[in-house]
Parts: sequence; C-alpha cells; structure tokens
Amino acid sequence: MFKNTSGSSRIARKALASLAAVTLLGAGLVGCSSASSGGGTLTYLTHSDSWTHADPNRNYTGQHIAWFGSYMHRTLTAYKRAAGADGSSVVPDMATDTGRASNGNKTWEFTLQDGVTFEDGSAVTCEDVKYGVSRTFATDVITDGPGYAISMLDIPKDKDGASVYKGPYKSDGNDTAAYDKAVTCSADNKTITFNLSRAVGDFNYTVTYLSFSAVPKASDDGDKYDMHPVSTGPYKIEKYVAKDEMVLVRNDKWSKDSDPIRNAYPDKIVVRFGLAEEVRDQLVINDSEPASMSLDGILPTNLATIFDDAGVPVEAWKDRAMNVYDPYVTYSAVNVEKVSCVQVRKAIYYARDFAALQTLAGGAAFTGDPADGVIKPLMGLDYKKTTGYEDWKEEGNAEKATALMAEAKTACPDVYKKATTTGLTFDIGDSDTNKKAATIWIDSVKKNSGIILKFNFIEPGSYYSVVLDPTKQGDLSRAGWAPDWANASTVIPELMLDGYGFPLSRAGKDPTYAEFKKRAEANLSEPDRVKQGAEWAALNQYVMDQMWIIPGVFSKTQEMWGSKLTGVFFWEPQGAPSFGDIQIAK
Amino acid sequence: MIISATLVVVTVVAPFIGGLLGIDGRERFPETLSSRGMPIGNFGGISWAHPLGIEPGIGHDLLARLIFGARISFFVALITTILSIAIGVVAGIIMGFFRGRVDSTIGRFIDFLLAFPSFFMIVALSLPMVQRLEKSGIAEGNTARMLYLVLILICFGWPYLARVIRSQVLSIRERDYVMAARALGASNTRIIFKEILPNLWSIIIVYFSLSLPGYLTAEAVFSFLGLGIQPPDASWGLLISDSIKYVMNEPTYFFITTTSLVFVVLTFNLLGDAVRDALDPKSEAS
Amino acid sequence: MFGYLVRRIATSLAILFAVSFAVYAIFALLPFDPAALTCGKNCNNPAIIEANRIRLGYDIPFWQQYIVFLGGLFAGRNYGEGAAAINCPAPSLGYSFNEHECVTTLIRQALPVTASLAIGAMILWLIVGITLGVVAARFRGRSADTASTIFVLIGTSLPTFLTGLLLLVFVVIKWRIIPFPSGNYTSLFENPLEWAQILLLPWITLAFASAALYTRFVRNAVIETLSEDFIRTARAKGLSEKVILRKHTLRAALAPIATMAGLDFAALLGGSILTEKVFNLPGLGRLSLSAVVEYDLPIIVGATLLSAAIVIAMNLIVDILYAFIDPRVRVAA
Repeated sequence: MFKNTSGSSRIARKALASLAAVTLLGAGLVGCSSASSGGGTLTYLTHSDSWTHADPNRNYTGQHIAWFGSYMHRTLTAYKRAAGADGSSVVPDMATDTGRASNGNKTWEFTLQDGVTFEDGSAVTCEDVKYGVSRTFATDVITDGPGYAISMLDIPKDKDGASVYKGPYKSDGNDTAAYDKAVTCSADNKTITFNLSRAVGDFNYTVTYLSFSAVPKASDDGDKYDMHPVSTGPYKIEKYVAKDEMVLVRNDKWSKDSDPIRNAYPDKIVVRFGLAEEVRDQLVINDSEPASMSLDGILPTNLATIFDDAGVPVEAWKDRAMNVYDPYVTYSAVNVEKVSCVQVRKAIYYARDFAALQTLAGGAAFTGDPADGVIKPLMGLDYKKTTGYEDWKEEGNAEKATALMAEAKTACPDVYKKATTTGLTFDIGDSDTNKKAATIWIDSVKKNSGIILKFNFIEPGSYYSVVLDPTKQGDLSRAGWAPDWANASTVIPELMLDGYGFPLSRAGKDPTYAEFKKRAEANLSEPDRVKQGAEWAALNQYVMDQMWIIPGVFSKTQEMWGSKLTGVFFWEPQGAPSFGDIQIAK
Repeated sequence: MIISATLVVVTVVAPFIGGLLGIDGRERFPETLSSRGMPIGNFGGISWAHPLGIEPGIGHDLLARLIFGARISFFVALITTILSIAIGVVAGIIMGFFRGRVDSTIGRFIDFLLAFPSFFMIVALSLPMVQRLEKSGIAEGNTARMLYLVLILICFGWPYLARVIRSQVLSIRERDYVMAARALGASNTRIIFKEILPNLWSIIIVYFSLSLPGYLTAEAVFSFLGLGIQPPDASWGLLISDSIKYVMNEPTYFFITTTSLVFVVLTFNLLGDAVRDALDPKSEAS
Repeated sequence: MFGYLVRRIATSLAILFAVSFAVYAIFALLPFDPAALTCGKNCNNPAIIEANRIRLGYDIPFWQQYIVFLGGLFAGRNYGEGAAAINCPAPSLGYSFNEHECVTTLIRQALPVTASLAIGAMILWLIVGITLGVVAARFRGRSADTASTIFVLIGTSLPTFLTGLLLLVFVVIKWRIIPFPSGNYTSLFENPLEWAQILLLPWITLAFASAALYTRFVRNAVIETLSEDFIRTARAKGLSEKVILRKHTLRAALAPIATMAGLDFAALLGGSILTEKVFNLPGLGRLSLSAVVEYDLPIIVGATLLSAAIVIAMNLIVDILYAFIDPRVRVAA
C-alpha cells in the first residue's frame, strides 16, 4: 500500500505477510535484557497532532495497527509476535483457532474464547464482532478503514456498485437483512460465521485487520467513537486529547489467561502529540526521557549522531536504534496521459542527480539502494534485475538525456515543447526536506536535459486524495508502495492496471497498454507460482521500458528509543516495531 | 546615526549588486559535502572559496544563497512598507483634513479591519488565496505567493499608520500657520502639500525604519510556517527555517543565517531610533 | 455618559456582526470543500462527499448557511441520524470532523491554555518593561540606560519563534536547566507547580519581545512627563526624585500603558500561534493553525470569530475606561 510522502515522518501501512529477509542492522533484538519484567511508564513521542484514527474500524496504517493491536484492540486472529519471517505467521487471538474454512473457502467460522471481555468486564460476544464489522459499511461516517468486509462478504451490490447494506446508522432503504445473512452468530453467541461472495483462501489473514475487531453497540457514537474506543486488550484509555496526549492505563478486566499472545509490561503508556520535530528527536538523543520512543522517523540531520557512515548504530547507540529495510519502493509516477512521450520520460530519469538527492536525505546507508523498478529484490520469486539502463549514472547522464530530448523533438514535438517551455508539474508532499529535494530535481533536470520542472507541494494529509484525482494530478507524482503480501500480484496490477487501487501513472492511456493488460490479467490466475513470478519480473521490465515510473529507492527506515527500553524488534508484517513487547528496564 | 545609515545602504544595495554580478545561489558544490550531506571542514565548511560556509544537505554556497535570498526578502519587505505607508498617509490625511463623514466612514472601516486577527487571517487565507491568484492567471508560483504576502500585509498594515497620521493632521490643521495660509486663500491641495505633509516626514521615516525590519521578520515567520516562498527560489525565511534543524549538528549554519536577519533588523531599529532622536527635539539624543 | 456608552456598544456590535459575516463569506467563497474533508484522507468517492455535504448543511447557498450558523449559535445544531447522530448544543459553532468534536467544546478546552499563557506573559512583560523603562529614564544616559537599550534592540530584533526554539533546545534539552515538562499542559487548578513549570519558557518567550517594546515605550513616556510643568512644580516644591517618579510621573504614564496592554492582551487571547506551536501547547493558536493546514472550516470560522470578538470587546472596554477617566473623549467621539 502507499507511503507517507512528507519525508521525515513516516507512516508505514499494512505491509508484507512474509518478507523473506529483512536485515536488522540494529542489535536491539528480543530478550536483549532479561533484568526487566514489568512496570513503569512508557512514553511515545510524535510530531502528529493525534492518531489518524483510534477507532479500530477506521485504522489502516501498519504502524497504528501494530500499536493499537498491541495494547487495546484484539482481533479474531493476529500476526505472531516474533522477529524475522516467523512474525508473518497467523495465530489465534480472540478466536480459539485460526479459523475453519468450508464451502470451498467461501464460508469461514471463528469461535470466541472464554474470558475475552471489554474494559467494563462484559464478555465479548459474536454480536459485538458482527456489530464492529457492520460499522465499516457506513462509509460516510466510518471513513478511511479497509474495505475488505464490503468487497468480500456475500452482500448484493446496487446498480452503482455500492453495497445494499449501508451500516448500522441508517434506517431508510438499508438492507440490514442482507448483512444478517452474510454474517451469522451461533445460538450461544460465541461462533461467528462469514459468508463470502468468492473463495478467499487466506481470509484468516484478512481478519487480522483491526476492522474485524469488536465494538460494543451501546458505546458507539459514530464519528466520536474515534476519541474513546472501548478496549478489549491489556490497556484502556484514561485520557485522549488531540494535540496534547493519550494516556493508557492497565485494563484490570483483561487477563493473560485468555490472551496468551499479548504482554503487558509497562503500568502506563503515554503518547505525547504535536512535538516539534527537532524537540522530539533531541528528547530521545539526549536521553532526557530514557523510557521513551519516537513514533516517527529520525530527522536526516540527526542521523549522524546515531549511525556511522555505513548506517550501523555507533557504539553508544548499539541497543537504542535500528536501521532496517522496510517493505517500500519509492518512485515518481509519470502521468502517461499528460507526458505521452517515452523519450521525455526517460530523459528525466537520466537527467536527475540521484546522488545529490541521496546525500540530501543523509546518504544511501539510510535512504536505501537505487531501485530498478517497482518490485523489491526481497520478493525473490518476482524480482529480476531490469536491464537497458546500464548507462544510468547516479549523478545524472547529461549526454544521454540530451540525446533523448533530441529524439523527442522530432518524435513528439508537443510534449517536447511543453517540457521545455511551460514545464512539467511535479506533485510532492510538503516538507522541508522535500523542498530542498525539489531544488535538486529542478536544477539538475534543467541542466542535464533542458526539461523544466515545477513543483506542487501538497499538504501530506491530503496528498493522496489530490494525486488520485485525475483532474488535480500533475505530470509527475511522488509515491511509495509496498505489497500487501509477498506476491507482486499486489504490486503490478495495483499500480498499473485501470480499475485497481493506485493508478498514478495512468498507464491505461499508453498505446502499449493493451498488451500489458492482457499479460498482467492472465498472470493473476497463473497457478504455477514460479512461472507467475517470472512473468511479474518481465512485466516489471515492461514498466521500466515504457518508463511509466521513474524509480526511486528500495527504502530503509530508522527507529530510535531511550536507554531504558528493551525488547524492541521490527515486526515485519506490520512494518513497525512490535510495541507490545517493549519493556522498561528497572 | 551615520554608521546605521551606512549599514542600511549596504544591506539594501548588496543584493542588487549580487544580481548584477550574476550570483544566483543555485550552483551546487557536491565536493564540499560528506556522503551524508554535512559540510566537510570546520565551522560549516568555511573557506576562502565559501566565506560563510556551505548550506548542508544540498551544497549551495551560503553567502551566494543569502545574497540571492535577500533580493526576495527585501523586495517583499520594501514594497509592503512603501505601499502601506503610501495608503496610510493618504487615508490619514483625508481623515484628518476633511473630518466629518469621510473620517467616520474610513474610521469604522479601520475598526473593522483591526478587529480581524490579522496574523491568523494571513495564515488561514494563504493557501486558498494563492490558488485563486494562480487560477485567475494574474501570477504563478512564487510570484503569486509574493503578491499575496505583499497584498495581505498591506491590507492589515496601513490602518495603524492612518490612525497616527490622522491624529497628527488633526492637530496640525489647527496650528496658526495653517490658519494663516487658509486665510490667505490657499487651496486645500496647497495646504496639504506645502503645510501639512512636510510636518509628517519625521513620523513617516520613523515608521518606515520600524516597518521594514518588521516585514522582513514577517517573511521569515511565514516561511517558518511553510507559507512563504518555495524553492528553488530562496528567501531568508526559508534559510532560517531550514537552519533551525541544524542547530545541534551544524551550528555555524544556523548562527550565520539567523544572525544575518537579526543584524539587519537591529540596524534598521538603530536607524529608526537615530532618526527619531534627530527629528524630535523633545527626546534628547540618548 | 450613558448616551456614549450605548453608542459605543452599538457600534461594537455592528462591527462584530460585519466581521462575522465577512469571515463567513470569505471562507465560504474560497475553494475550500469542507465536505471533502469528512470523507477521509484517502477518499476519492464523490458519493460519500455528497452525502456529507448534505448532512453538514454545505449544500445550500452560503448566505443561508450563514443564517443557519447564526441559528446554531443560539439554538445548537444536530448532524446525522441514528447512533452516529451528533448534537452540538448552543452556542454551537459547528462540528469538526477532523477532531471528532463540536467546535465550541474544542475552543472551551483550548481557551484556558491560551489564557494562562497570555496572563502570565503579560504580568512578566509589564513587570520587566515598566521596571526597565523607569530605571532607564531615571538614569538616562548612564550604563543602566545603555543596558536597557541593548535589551530593547535584541528583544525587538529576535523573532519569537527563534527565541522559543533556542530556549527550548538549549535550556531544557541540552543544558537541562529546567526539566522537560512531564506533560504537555496541566491546569492551574490541578497542579499549580507543574502548570507554572510548563508555561515558564513560553511566558519568557512571549514576554521577551513585548517587554522590550514596553521598556522603550515607558522610558519615552516617563522622560516626556518629566519635562512637563507639573513635575517641575513638584521638583520646585522640593520633593525627592523618587517620590516624583512614583507619585507623579508613573501615574501619568500609566493610562497609555494600560491601553496598550489591554489591546495586546486581547490579541494574545486569540491565540499565539508561534509560541504555542514551538512549545506544543494545546491552545487556540495550535487549534487554528492545524485547522488551517487541514482546511477544517468550522474551526477556522469559530476561532476567527472568537478572536475578533475578544479584540472588539477589549477595544470597547478600553474606550469606556478612557471615557470615565477623561471626559473630553465623550465629547469628541
């Protein structure tokens, strides 16, 4: 899924189910210190003014799912809390097992364990889970959450393609019966059955999303529930004020017996919102609050204090920082409809001073390696190094870019004229680092190819809603993408095919699209995984040949925390630290 | 006084000389940066080639960047100051001289303008108004942003001076020599230009010397909030808001950019004080 | 006097009304889409936006919206239906979908923070400004005067956000002279000590620039009064310089200082965006700044109106006080 574009503050979203080998350069792994057990106040520091959403049904950001999933919201199944690839397996959470499929994977059953309760002590029933899931259908109130329930459950669609069930808030013209048929509860209110419209073999991965957690109907007040969600986990909200802080205290109704996967080490958890970025970083760097952790990335200017030139934490930071590959590939999508000239697209790729951009962001040891497409090498079956760009140079290849532009002058005079006179607009998230990056793009591309770039800085919060709107999108748009699980079927079609989630390149308007579409759609149902992988790699090459995207980096992410925290490890499927396992050393 | 005046001339003229010499502050010197973007060498990479050091991360020459940026910062400040003074003086004279209905109408309008939380309005209107300006085709990109900043600062800037001028004119027009001129049959125009305006110069000059640095700082503040000029153009505000992030790791960069602003503002303040002391016999030179 | 009062209050109300309409019109006519915001951050579904536009009442012409808005001020407003229905009781300024809260509630939460900041800062700068100003005037031309001049110059030349950030990064984080507050803001009534500790640096930051201005102002005012006839008379009577300063000079200079302080205070109550941003205080300034960044229209309108109302009210109070002190004003106005 997509990546936050503001540069320093990184919001990783739901990512890989099983990435083979994420390198952990930081040494602070599990069980690093055994002297700690529980207690204390764990403080999180963030530049954001509040959580995007605390309402489980509206949460769709990997880091936030990891956080709330660790402390407050239980789901039917959950990812295993372990470092490395082991973390990508699914274990039972509120359910007694990882789900029972029947009817050719179209019916899925989960039975709730005994002793699972809300924070008021009342038992979590099937009806509560059913109610929680029903809320995701109220798309005008419960916004931003994943739409899996809507797309997978067996509920008819109206003529506009919207579900006939509109969630629990509407009375008129709302087909509640259809929902009651699709999701049923057993007589003892313990077993929930999902009837799906198509076979979903890994539906038990789908229900790890917080959107499948329980919400007590009596406490639901729609949009406002976002400020006071009811806990089923080891902690509950004592205070939550945006721009101020969130305080979680122990939920005394929660018992470890019914919840073997969660640890509840600290007594209290505090999130401090809205800290100035420099202040946030300095608090951790100076260890002013030794039991604190930054929830955002680290400012590039501060990396030098923590890591050596190779990106390894220096001695003093050995147990307090990590620098890891995250699941993302960054790129600049070229709007093919507006820049309908492959030579111009390639000229930008050759002209850009990639080396200067890397230096600006703190060096390759922190930003990651230059990408050669949209598939990361970690996805072994689907990745093959793309070819044809051996003459690409990190500092830009003026000769090649100029030659391409000379070709473009005759091949596509209109685009050539636009690129060299009025210029091409480039959408990018608004941040200080991006502003400096824009300077490098503008100057180097102009110098090496003669193409004029103009930047449109968009507020990060509304960035994707702007660029996903074809009427508002510019000629190029910065983006980042991670697969939802380890198959490029969640990459190539999503980014390039019409009707899929993230078509920033508008590849459908390219004359060579028809053949690409045929091959990609055929490959989606290819049963042989090895053959399928080879074809995805070939299609990745196709994307590069047409330069539908200008590749950025196979990106990395850095985390740092105070000296008293132990047990921090990177939880791969969520692309975030496993918050629930962090303890405070005595 | 002489020292201040010289400093003012130097700070105002330098950027334009820089423009004539073709310094555009856009040239990058990648060899001056380490692989992680910090200037090589002590004190922010100060050397003979780069007397004020290097802008970290990107590798511009800081002196060239400051000179380049000063053009935009001074342009915004200067135009805003001159225009808001012009409007304020005209409105103030009209109010004070003609009094009556004209006075009360403009007076109410000033009350109305001053009731707005001006700083907040400037911030709030920034994005949509710049979009408006761009859509209407009047200006684009940074020109639109500068235009917006100038217009809105003038909009909230002139009323203060207008009020001061009005009260001055009210008292001047009752003085004997104005009465005498009127008795001699002098026209209104003549009275305004020959008798009243000359008496306002000291206020105007003092106001100018205080406004200009005020607007310079305003530009920096709006850049700090991310609403000012956007790269690749440079302004002092942009440089300062960037340098804040380096306060720990590259203090020289931070120190030089902020000192430049504080220094210029200080200079103008000194000049203002000096002019006031020189023109106002009551407050003896201090 | 009574006639003056009525006239003055009537004009103030008229201006407030004009400002409220202008604010509403300006923001309603700009290319904001308040409904688009409610659809969520990554939304491109026009149907949801349309549904919310109707629910929030943005589907009618703006002058009708303004009337509904005024109605909400007195009668409260309701949005939506079923369990998701939202009620914002009077005086309602609308509902923010971004903050999941009624605007009035948000302002009520933010106002004490801003008020604490403003009151503390004002006390600080008045004490510093008046003391330094008087001292500088009393010892004119001597080293105390020079020192105060330097203070004034630095104070007026350093932008607030720089003072704040420098104080925070060095005093708190680097040198740890003051411990970093354990919370973002604590109410005075909950924990006065922590309240003061958290607000100390913001107070200094805000007061720094103003204290400089007041020092200059007080110094000039005192010097000016010292040269007036009644002071000369007092001197001739053989009163000591101290008594003259305290009893006569300062009193004469106090009225304009009070006026200035009143208006500055009013401006501060509207929210000190920069100081609150730098020190992360959940006051009105932060609230309105984030509303601007997110295009959260109901908050923008509400916060603007509130600060306009405060400024107008403070102007009114100052004018009325003046009229009480100085009868000539009543005739002139």
